[in-house]
Amino acid sequence: MIPFVAVVSLRGRQSRTLRIWVPLILLWLLLVPLAVLLSPLIFVFCLACRVSPFRAFSVGWQILWALHDTHLEVDHPSAGISICVF
Amino acid sequence: MNEHRRQILQMLSEGKISADEAERLISALEAGLSSSVSQNAPDSAPRARPKYLRVQVDSGDDGHDGPTKVNVRVPMQLLRAGVKLAGLIPAQALDRANVAIHEKGIPFDLSQIKPENLEELIDQLSDLSVDVDQADHGAKVKVKVFCE
Repeated sequence: MIPFVAVVSLRGRQSRTLRIWVPLILLWLLLVPLAVLLSPLIFVFCLACRVSPFRAFSVGWQILWALHDTHLEVDHPSAGISICVF
Repeated sequence: MNEHRRQILQMLSEGKISADEAERLISALEAGLSSSVSQNAPDSAPRARPKYLRVQVDSGDDGHDGPTKVNVRVPMQLLRAGVKLAGLIPAQALDRANVAIHEKGIPFDLSQIKPENLEELIDQLSDLSVDVDQADHGAKVKVKVFCE
């Protein structure tokens, strides 16, 4: 499943937590037209690097698909950050 | 199993064995059944495939700032996709990486890694469990890598 939302939690020394909900679905919607516009350039770049553009697209899509359920958390008494991708 | 139990009860009714002996025989029969079930259980039960790779780091308290904790959960699918991404590395870049690795004295050839090997490697990660405990400048650092 493509990740729809990312939740970024930031905590400062005062133990105040700022939670930001990032609607990734909107980001994807914005990036799709850009990706379509840039696709000829990406295609040429892949060929110049001797990489199959179709394979590159496939792997990129798989990475995007697999980002779902990723969780990263770093906690320190002075600050902390947590990123959850849903 | 019911056949054995019936035989015991028949022997009891015929007076060949006493009630105590019958009870002991039935108990032994049930104990034998439960042990055979428990022995067969690990083989018969399908192994659940792990979904995530977890990395946990606990730096411990070094007396200054307090402990730092890192908790990372990466889906196995992302690892698989990452491995496929590594397969896109052009041959020239692989050659450069090989030269750099050899210069470090590591006898390893990246071009020998095939996608099927990497798939196998990811599959074997399910049995991975790494625990590292180290005292570093007075703080105890714990690193744990496992699949769940």
